[in-house]
Order: sequence, then C-alpha cells, then structure tokens
Amino acid sequence: MTMTKTSLPAHMKCVVLLGVDFDGPCHEVGRGIAPLGIHSWGRYSAKRGVPRHLDMCQRLGVPCTFFVPGYDAELYPEVVKSIDRNGCEVAAHGYLHEAWDMEGEEEERLLRKTDDILSNLLGKPVLGWRSPSGRKSAKTMQVLRSMGYIYDSSDKDYDLPYRWRFTNAAGESDTIIELPNNTYSLDDFPFYKFSYTPPSEVLDQWLAEFDAIYNGDRFFVLTVHPRSGWGSGTPSRTQVFEEVIRHIQKYEGVHFFSSAEFARWCQQNPELLEEVANV
Amino acid sequence: MKTNFPWPEGASNAVAVTVNFDAESYDLLSTTPDRLYGRFSYGRYGVRAGLPRLLDVLAKNEVRSTFFVTGVDAQRHANALQRISEAGHEVASRGASMKRPDAAQELTWLRDGIDAVSQATGKPVLGYRSPDNELTPRTLYHLLELGLIYDSTFQDDDAPYRFALSAGKLAEIPISFALGDAQGFSARHSHQRVLQIWRDETEALLAADALIPLTLHLRGDFGSSRAARIAMLDTYFQTLRARSNAPFVTCADLARWTLETVEVPEEGDPYEVHADTLANTVYRGDLAVKPI
Repeated sequence: MTMTKTSLPAHMKCVVLLGVDFDGPCHEVGRGIAPLGIHSWGRYSAKRGVPRHLDMCQRLGVPCTFFVPGYDAELYPEVVKSIDRNGCEVAAHGYLHEAWDMEGEEEERLLRKTDDILSNLLGKPVLGWRSPSGRKSAKTMQVLRSMGYIYDSSDKDYDLPYRWRFTNAAGESDTIIELPNNTYSLDDFPFYKFSYTPPSEVLDQWLAEFDAIYNGDRFFVLTVHPRSGWGSGTPSRTQVFEEVIRHIQKYEGVHFFSSAEFARWCQQNPELLEEVANV
Repeated sequence: MKTNFPWPEGASNAVAVTVNFDAESYDLLSTTPDRLYGRFSYGRYGVRAGLPRLLDVLAKNEVRSTFFVTGVDAQRHANALQRISEAGHEVASRGASMKRPDAAQELTWLRDGIDAVSQATGKPVLGYRSPDNELTPRTLYHLLELGLIYDSTFQDDDAPYRFALSAGKLAEIPISFALGDAQGFSARHSHQRVLQIWRDETEALLAADALIPLTLHLRGDFGSSRAARIAMLDTYFQTLRARSNAPFVTCADLARWTLETVEVPEEGDPYEVHADTLANTVYRGDLAVKPI
C-alpha cells in the first residue's frame, strides 16, 4: 500500500464528473409504496427528467453517467437505451433502490440481477456502480470486480479518486477505482427534500463548491436526480444543473468525463493514484 | 426542453391556481371538535379572516381558480363555498374529511365528500384532490364511477394528461409542491424566500411551455391568506401577467380540454404494472438520513 496522495496532472486543472441517479418508481415501489399521487415523483424521471437532462448534455456537449436501478430499466427500456444512444454512460444503482443493508447472498443476487438487466438491454458491459442509499459492504467490491466492474462511486471518505486494494472472491489481490461523492453538499435532494432552498440559492451553493474545489483538490462530482419532488428533472432545477455546467465551462483546463472514462484514465495512470488497502 | 402540449387559446402555457381549503378538517386531524380553539383555530382563521382577502386579490388580478374542499368543511362553511362559487371559481372535492378511510369504505367516503360540496354550491363537482395526497389503486376508478372528469393529485408531469382505464378516461392535472405555499411556510421561510422559489419555478415553467400549477392554502399557519402573503401573491400575479399572456384556467376547464384534445398523451393504469412487486415488498422507512 502506498500513501502517496492522488495527484492529477497539471494540465487537468479540474476533473468534473456529472451523475444522474435515475430513481424512477423503484424508489417508492421498493419500499412497498404505490407510485400514485404524491408518490408519483419517480414517474417523472422517464417521462420528463431523463429526456430533459439528455437534451441538456447534448446541447452543452458534456458527458454524464446515469446510475439506473434494474427495476426502472425493466419498466422503461427505451428510455435507458436512449441514454446510451445519446453517448451518456449507463451504470448500476441497485434493483429496487434498496437501502442496501442486506446480508449475505442477497447482495450478490441483486448486483447480478441488475447487471444482467442493464448489460442485456444495452448489449455492452456495465462498468460501474453507485450504492442506492449510500450503503456498501466489504463484499460489494468483490462482487463488482467478479462482474468486471472497474469502479465504485459510493464512498464519502475523500475529495479525490483513489484505488481500493482488496482480496477478491478468488482469494487474489485485486483493485477497483473509487470515485467518492458527497450527498450532503453536491447532491440535489438535501436542498429540495429538507431545506426547500430556492433553486437560485442552490445554484449559488454549487458554484461556491466548484470554486473552492477548482482552487483545491480539483475533483468535482455532482449528483442530481431526474425526478420531480426532491429531484432536479423539473425545468427550474434542470436550469440550475445547466447553469452550474455553463459556469464550469468558463474555467480553463476543466476536463469533463463520464465516470467510466475517468475510471479508465485512473487505471491507465496508476502511479498518480493513491492506493488504499481494504479496511 | 419544451412540453409540446397543445395549450388552449394557442398559448404557450396555462396557469392553474388551486386552493386547498383545509379549514377545520385539517385541525381535526390533531384534535376533537370540542377543542378547535387556540393552536387548532388556524383553519378557522383562513375562512374568517383569509377568504375575503384571497377572493379580493384573485378578483383584482382576474384570476379564476379551483378550490378543493372536504365534506366536513363544506358543511361547516356552506356560505363561504357559495361566495367562492359566485365569484366564478370552481369548487371541487378533497374527500369527505382529511382522513382517508380504509380502502373498502373509499367509494362511500368519496361520494359523501362530493355530495357535501355540490349541496353547498348547487353545482356538480367535477374533480378531486386527495386530502393526504395519496391514492389507492381503486381511487381513479371510483372517481369515474362518481361522474368526475379529473384528478389533481399526481406530481409526475409538466402538463395534463389522460388516464385511459377500463372504466373510461380521466384527466390528470398534475401539481408540484415546489410551486406552493405549504412547504416553504411550514419550513418557516420568509415571504421573500418563498416568493423567490415561486419566481425561480415560474420562470423556468414559462420557458418550458409547462403548466403553472400554483397550489395555495387558505390557512393562517402555512397558508397564504395573511395580509403580507396576500400582498406577496399580488406581486406574483402582477409579475406573471407582465411576463406572459398565459390564460388562468380552472382545473375543470383544463380537464375538459385534456379529454377532448386528441394530441394529449394518454397513460394506462398507474398501479397495475407494479402490483406484483408491491405484493412482495414492505414499507421500510425513508432512505435519506434525516437532519439532526
């Protein structure tokens, strides 16, 4: 295990990863709630939010990773295919957006189930996973690696990408790229679910985050949701998402990646990445 | 990205102002009829102090709106409902009371609520909004059986659409809590901050050719009928008028348009596709970490 801090090359003034967690009706259905009335926010994702976010990505010319639960992909296969067709990445995000505190075999069964759904739908392998709810176990990385995934984007423990080293299911030393995020600051739901912050204030918040990161660790990971309610699929909140990106695009040396593209870059530049042994 | 919805009058948007009446009905969720005093009198404030002010500001800005009223409130405030109706607003149903019954009683409960409102106004009731914003798998079918033409409880679209069910077609006029008073005021935001949310939301909805579904409450706590909030509402309407010529419509007008216009998108039963999965899942609580 090395203890060298990850250091991005000088020409990469800042790496930006945009993520959209699809979170359709599975978010409610997985908890036993019918997606009717107030609980219909997830229905917005496929109808309006995802097409609006794809349209935005295309207009701005930025890559984006959509983390899609398996159940939503079964409900809306054409919408998920359109993500791939538009040049954006589809990654995995649980089956029914589980709270991910399950034991033993259930975790592996669910990871494989969603992987099968997404890879069969797209005709290509899935390369990454983000935990629904943010929970993860020591076993998660073993299963992800056994399915050929190259990155996880669930941990909250650092401001830079790094490499986990761990013992895989076959008993061998293995690695996976970790792309950490923060669901308190660079995520939409805390502002729209808890504090009901005006969208224009959320914009100010995220611009302040970017400016601090641009002058600091230079790794910016923003997560939004295409649903209505506490998500960012609606016109006002998509506009905030767009204005953040437009702001970032004004800065010199900013590199936008999909999560998989950046994980590949990390794999190709192993000497620049901090390696951390599994705890 | 625009909605492509064929709005009435060739406009780019429509504005549907709705008012959840929620007077004593709401207080009765927390107390008994003999204790509707003190903190449990904010509902009564809305009718005594708030309603005249709200009707004035709506009239001043030539806004037609839709009031959703429970059967309990309709019986207590029949005169108020007549005034609302005579002022040109629509009065629709919010159920018999704010507490929904067991699914087996839902049809009777819906009928009681609708009957109470139509008895107070002397007009048929055409639409429904659930008092706790929840529906059962049978609600939409019950509404059709009771002769209603629309529901306005879902929050899943930027424009109206039609449910095509085995029992017939029902219009859905979707709303958004983000463009309303209750969330912001119950979080104790200032008037200024709630108005900022409305402006942010409305500007973007105008640009997206979307429905502008402003959802208000009459109450004196998280509602909009206090004088300063009425002034805020006045400012909002004036700003909107200056920005757009979108017509202010009642939900019933929009529902008729939605049912009659071929190009409006149609959806199937929103429950059926999930029924098998729901039979095997249990409520596991909220996924998010609550603020400390």
